[in-house]
Amino acid sequence: MRVSAHARAPGANRVVVALSVAALLALWGVAAIGVAPNRIVPGTPLKLAEVAGWYGALLGSLPLLALAALAWRPELARLKLALGLALALLMALPAGLALLGALALDPALPQARLGLGPAFWLLLFLLALVLIELRTRLWLGSLAGWGMVAAVALAWGATGWVLSSWLAPLALWQEYRVRSEAFGTAVLYHLLLVGGAVGASLVLGTAIALAMRRSRRLERAGFTLLNLVQTIPSLALFGLLLAPLAWLAANVGWLHALGVRGIGWAPAFLALLGYSLLPMVRNTFVALSGVEAGVLEAARGMGMSRAQVFWQVRLPLALPVVLEGIRITTVQAIGLAAVAALVGAGGLGTFIFQGLGQAAMDLVLLGALPILAMALAADALLGALSRRLSPQENRSHGGAG
Amino acid sequence: MTSEVPPDVGRLMRWRAPLVWLSLLMLLAAGMAWLTPLFHWVEPGARQVIYPHGDFLVLLGRHLLVVSVASLLAVLLGVGAAVLVTRPAGRDFLPLVAQFASMGQTFPPVAVLALAVPVLGFGTWPIIVALLLYGLLPIVRNTLAGLEGLEAGVMEAARGMGMSASQRLLQVELPLAAPVILAGIRTSVTVNIATAALGATVGASNLGAPIISGIVNGNTAYVLQGAVLIGLLALCVDSAFERLQRGLGHPGR
Amino acid sequence: MIELFEVTKRFGAETAVDGISLRVESGELCALVGTSGCGKSTTLRMINRLIEHDGGEIHLDGRPVREFDEQALRRRIGYAIQSTGLFPHWTVARNIGLVPRLLKWPATRVRARVEELMALLGLPLEQFADKYPHQLSGGQAQRVGVARALAADPDILLMDEPFGALDPITRESLQAELRDLQARLNKTIVFVTHDMDEALALADRLVVMRAGRIVQQGTPLSLLRDPADDFVASLLGGEDRGLKEAAITPVSERMQPLSPRLLPKARVHQSASLRQALSVMFREQADRLAVVDDEDMAVGELSLRRLVEGRRDE
Repeated sequence: MRVSAHARAPGANRVVVALSVAALLALWGVAAIGVAPNRIVPGTPLKLAEVAGWYGALLGSLPLLALAALAWRPELARLKLALGLALALLMALPAGLALLGALALDPALPQARLGLGPAFWLLLFLLALVLIELRTRLWLGSLAGWGMVAAVALAWGATGWVLSSWLAPLALWQEYRVRSEAFGTAVLYHLLLVGGAVGASLVLGTAIALAMRRSRRLERAGFTLLNLVQTIPSLALFGLLLAPLAWLAANVGWLHALGVRGIGWAPAFLALLGYSLLPMVRNTFVALSGVEAGVLEAARGMGMSRAQVFWQVRLPLALPVVLEGIRITTVQAIGLAAVAALVGAGGLGTFIFQGLGQAAMDLVLLGALPILAMALAADALLGALSRRLSPQENRSHGGAG
Repeated sequence: MTSEVPPDVGRLMRWRAPLVWLSLLMLLAAGMAWLTPLFHWVEPGARQVIYPHGDFLVLLGRHLLVVSVASLLAVLLGVGAAVLVTRPAGRDFLPLVAQFASMGQTFPPVAVLALAVPVLGFGTWPIIVALLLYGLLPIVRNTLAGLEGLEAGVMEAARGMGMSASQRLLQVELPLAAPVILAGIRTSVTVNIATAALGATVGASNLGAPIISGIVNGNTAYVLQGAVLIGLLALCVDSAFERLQRGLGHPGR
Repeated sequence: MIELFEVTKRFGAETAVDGISLRVESGELCALVGTSGCGKSTTLRMINRLIEHDGGEIHLDGRPVREFDEQALRRRIGYAIQSTGLFPHWTVARNIGLVPRLLKWPATRVRARVEELMALLGLPLEQFADKYPHQLSGGQAQRVGVARALAADPDILLMDEPFGALDPITRESLQAELRDLQARLNKTIVFVTHDMDEALALADRLVVMRAGRIVQQGTPLSLLRDPADDFVASLLGGEDRGLKEAAITPVSERMQPLSPRLLPKARVHQSASLRQALSVMFREQADRLAVVDDEDMAVGELSLRRLVEGRRDE
């Protein structure tokens, strides 16, 4: 009997190897930091080897080489080690940045600023991808994902506190320091705008979905209209709302008293509400009509009252779908609220557009990074909540990335 | 009654919605000046009521150029990448690409555009690159969903009949996934039209420019002109895609 | 002719097929039966290399299948499956013409072949050629699936529960058609099913599998009369085995010439099975039946005693 053993030896984890190689290329090929004598003058981009010297750059490459080597033979223990290494690298990123800053900046120039180079961003991005990949391969649940996010946040916070004097020249920090108060207000305003629009769309959307369930014609007309609104680019919708709102503010006294103007929160709120309605109505509608007829029939057949059917059957089954609608709406609104800054609504978008106007890229980052973080956090949190409430879904996957 | 209509007319009728939006768009872009009285009524205080820095047709052309270059590249790269990671050779990369494509959808387009500028600089190319990167995600995600969602029996039969890998891809997998892929392209293009308008804030001269200029100068007439044209462009492209999707959706149905 | 020598297949730590040997002669219909997960589908799919075997050898007309080009091998073996696997974006005609087109037949020859097959499988051309799979009933779709498998006139046909998803009436009529086709076309067919009646009705050779091994093989009659163990006996119907045997034995095999006695009123067609004859006797409370031909003319008679004891003379 000829039985050839075809128990194929598993090959290298090519994904992690490829990501490590890409990170190495970024580290050697593009600028890690930028150094500028002050805010006005554009910075000089510096590669790792130019700051730390050849030996320093080689030393900095070692962990990435080790990562690739660990992934070369994907045994469980080695992959776990690789995960730990990637996590440690990610946690140490600000410390490395502080070190480079200390090496590159001339202490005689107190106005000097430290900018983040493409290599830094690429490293951050690629290491995050390594973590996602390894988390998937090792079958780690969402709890581990949250744990990793918490560890990185903690490490970064601690680094910022301990090495505050070294990181002080960081341009992003400088931009924040001058407007820490405005930043707080902007975040609050951004959240208020998003929360208000999502909350209002939840109430209004549920009402519309309920009305749609009563009339097929209303259903078709409603979805057509909401689809239309969703298609119109945000900038155009904000713009289109300016004129009618200005007219209303000028001619309707009580609206004026409420603070409605052509520019400001009113057009922003209305546009956000308009965009939020489609996903909200769609999901609420599906949630209300999507409960299997057999389940409802069985519930009624067992002798449950209408109220019992609603509270014990319909609602628990519909809740995850509604939550999914809230998730989509919230993530979308966080991004759109940034555009609202253009019509004077405030929020984090203000920094983006101010920065773009002044060609101050770190100010742009000050606006864009928190928006990105808020969107990712909202997506992860609401997604996890929706999965938690949904009985059918597998709970061990997804969650924080 | 409809059988009386000759076939070309019937085909034209089905493209009615996009054609109506298109002719409205062209008409307005070419003849905005005719509406001067209307804009005087909107903005009675201003001397200049028609956006002066650039012909609307040129702005429209630039807008379209940026969006179509970015979208074309995004389709090529996105479908290509998704096909690659669903082949045996690239399968290792599938989980990561799938997770990233769905996670990347949460990135707000404004933030992506804003982050692209520090890295890539001002101008047309940075915007194209930013649009391309952002537009990739829905295409990759939908192509993956389309290719992975094929009925197992169909794929088994294709293999069992002796079709080669490329024959399976071109004759079975891609045609069957086409409606889902097209939906992804539609999302990508629609978002790109909107994001390209934001490009006006980073120095691109396109249909977003009148809006920005109008907001900055407090001239509602400019805002209206830009907004109406972008809105019409979006509706035109979106309804054309809807038509295409309906044509592809279910053969023979 | 298909030969398997000590063929083994493992999936990870699990052995799905464990050293089985089997020989399917040309023109034979071989049914693989067994409970689900016994390795019968895996065995079938190793023949056209949809699954590669780990150990042993599979030969096609004396040549190891591994020596064939994978695609060329599959194009010369017909393949039909339970879900039909029809391409939903292609018309019926295009689906049927798939393999001939893959083999680069000229278009006219493909068209002629498609028309021929549609006629063979009772699918009127003008009615079905331009339909899409979703417009067909389950039985029609399965006919198209069989037509597609036969399109390039392969010597060998592999069928994986092709009729498993059909209602009993459609299933029986398709089984009858397959039997006719087999009689006319003389293909070598390997057929996987878990429907024992289907296997008994169709197979020349019955192969019973359990946990990746062949427990017993032989003609349906030999297995029914002489099951190797309790597993085979219960798989074949337990105490119902007698009825199953009666179901696959035609009346014509047991009928006797007309006797001078008065012809009984109760009658049965000569092509009916002994089981049907028994049912008629039971219903009509008769112990003698007239056997009739298509014109309802008596050609013989069958007594209860003869029906149950007939085996002794064989």
